[in-house]
Amino acid sequence: MSEEVIKLERVTAGYKVVKGALSIWKQVNVVLRDISFSIGKSERLAIIGESGSGKTTLLKVILGLLKPIKGSVLLYGRDIYRIPDEEREKILRKIGYVPQDPYRSLNPVLKVKTIIGEPLEVIGENKEKIEKRVVEVARFVGLPWSALDDTPEELSGGMRQRVLIARAIIANPEILVLDEPTSALDVSIQAQILNLLNNIYSNFKPTMITVTHDLAVAQYLADRVIILKDGCIVEEGKLEEVLYNPRHEYTKTLVSSYLYTTTTNSVSGFNNKS
Amino acid sequence: MVLAVKTVNLRIGYLDEEEEKIQWAVRGVDLEIQEGESFCLVGESGSGKTTLANAIAGILPPHAVTQGKVYIFDKLVVDDSSRNYNGVRGRIVNYIPQNPGTSLNPFLTIEDHFYYVLRDLYKYDKSKSKSIAIETLSKVGLTSEILDYYPHELSGGMKQRVLIALALASNARIIVADEPTSSVDASLRAGILGLLSKLNKEYRVTLIIVTHDIKMTSAICNRTAVMYSGEIVEIGKTSIILQSPKHPYTRMLMECVPILGVEKPLKPLPGEPTRIFEDISWCSFRERCPYASVECKTTPSMIPVGDDESHFVKCWRFHEVA
Ligand SMILES: Nc1ncnc2c1ncn2[C@@H]1O[C@H](COP(=O)(O)OP(=O)(O)OP(=O)(O)O)[C@@H](O)[C@H]1O
Ligand SMILES: Nc1ncnc2c1ncn2[C@@H]1O[C@H](COP(=O)(O)OP(=O)(O)O)[C@@H](O)[C@H]1O
Ligand code: SF4
Ligand SMILES: [Mg+2]
Ligand SMILES: [Mg+2]
Repeated sequence: MSEEVIKLERVTAGYKVVKGALSIWKQVNVVLRDISFSIGKSERLAIIGESGSGKTTLLKVILGLLKPIKGSVLLYGRDIYRIPDEEREKILRKIGYVPQDPYRSLNPVLKVKTIIGEPLEVIGENKEKIEKRVVEVARFVGLPWSALDDTPEELSGGMRQRVLIARAIIANPEILVLDEPTSALDVSIQAQILNLLNNIYSNFKPTMITVTHDLAVAQYLADRVIILKDGCIVEEGKLEEVLYNPRHEYTKTLVSSYLYTTTTNSVSGFNNKS
Repeated sequence: MVLAVKTVNLRIGYLDEEEEKIQWAVRGVDLEIQEGESFCLVGESGSGKTTLANAIAGILPPHAVTQGKVYIFDKLVVDDSSRNYNGVRGRIVNYIPQNPGTSLNPFLTIEDHFYYVLRDLYKYDKSKSKSIAIETLSKVGLTSEILDYYPHELSGGMKQRVLIALALASNARIIVADEPTSSVDASLRAGILGLLSKLNKEYRVTLIIVTHDIKMTSAICNRTAVMYSGEIVEIGKTSIILQSPKHPYTRMLMECVPILGVEKPLKPLPGEPTRIFEDISWCSFRERCPYASVECKTTPSMIPVGDDESHFVKCWRFHEVA
């Protein structure tokens, strides 16, 4: 195996919640339990699971946004929650992140070019260089020139997703993290975005983590998958192995639900699952 | 055979305040759906699926402009600009919205949802509505336990089932479901589709499903219409549409859908659909169509394909579509 870029060791994580309006007692709602896995350089991993299974939470842990209750998160061998802030920030800058929901994750008052250039502005890059690079990545992701002066509200869902992707790759990240990159989009726009992401991968070979609830989409973006259920990893392996030889009950239902919608015309196999 | 839905040259537009023009979302749709059919409308976002479905379900917003006619069974519900769904909406046609979360009232228990619907429709009292609730919930695979629950205590799949049970309880003859599985997980999709199909097969409810996912149609719909830019561009048996699509748009739609276990390059459609304000006299797919040529300067009519009596396509050059 090549160099380990990301490694999680027995991570348990969750959110502090205040129980009851008047209570001063804080409780922790544990969302992820005992999660361990690692990703090598230029590997492509998909995290699959139903809504609420903890996919986005897992990404937050990797992005340095949510400190685990237990366990460690290593990026390039360094435990990001146990090193000085400065060093952590330096490591986290190697990550480009495309958040879930292109409709809600763009600042509506900023111009598209400002949004795309922000990661470079943060590290104090000079204006001209930023402008040049914004135009470069915009062209790469297929954003029309004219969109750069628009605000996100004026753009379609597919265009918004391109803005988020341009922003994520502008600083040449070594790791690309994508949260449901196509689930808010129509099938034909989805195909455009999947092709774009593949293009990014073949050009820059980043280490890629994609969250999706759609196994058919994962086929295009990952070689290996992790199946999450109720915050636990229930299955992990090469995509084809999981597809043709699912072991866990949940994975079996998941895989069969696709076979059902793509190949059968009958509902004889239907059972009353809710 | 009884016609459950019939539209005659139906046009639906929305007034665009800024441009002071009407944007036509549905343009001249002639559609007949038999009682007991399970029918699917597919197309990209903005193609007018929801608008057409809403016209059938009787929930067009007041600022929508209508022309042409819609019949639900024998009742004329849309007669040009006059719309009257009394006795039809909620009673004969029931609508299952895209997002089950927001369409249930967060302050009412599931039991009360049934009570208010049945009181308004049939003046039933609490105990009668409760027994109907229990009966229909069991048909959708839920137990009476959930009667005391509030919507937020149910999973997405369960909420979707409650909505279907409500439609059943109101004795609907037609169910219109808009993207019924887009807000539930992949693992729940099969269950919801199976359930809708069961209602169709066992209780002869006419089913109209709206989706942008052409894969989904094969599971339950016997007939499919493909919409583009406000028009039905291809219609026929689902198996035939999937196996030998004739309209260039239908073909392109199929080539951009990822299918599990099938490795193929995805070929997205170039460009985006155009919004239509004026009547156009050419094929609306022309700008994106790789087969476009001179004859496409006039609007194609619905042409029988010939492989099956119910297969029609709105394309002059469908013979050349390999
Ligand atoms: N900021 C937060 N504060 C408290 N609880 C949260 C927060 N974000 C998520 N949760 C809870 O954590 C659990 C997992 O949520 P998460 O967003 O990780 O799921 P997900 O797998 O990404 O789901 P989806 O597919 O819907 O995006 C849920 O029960 C959710 O309510
Ligand atoms: N309530 C509405 N008011 C104004 N315009 C609308 C409304 N609903 C839909 N439209 C417009 O009509 C067109 C068709 O939309 P819709 O019927 O929702 O298509 P679909 O369901 O296929 O995505 C779109 O251009 C949309 O912007
Ligand atoms: S009529 Fe012409 S432009 Fe329209 S779909 Fe057919 S070939 Fe394409
Ligand atoms: Mg999420
Ligand atoms: Mg719609």
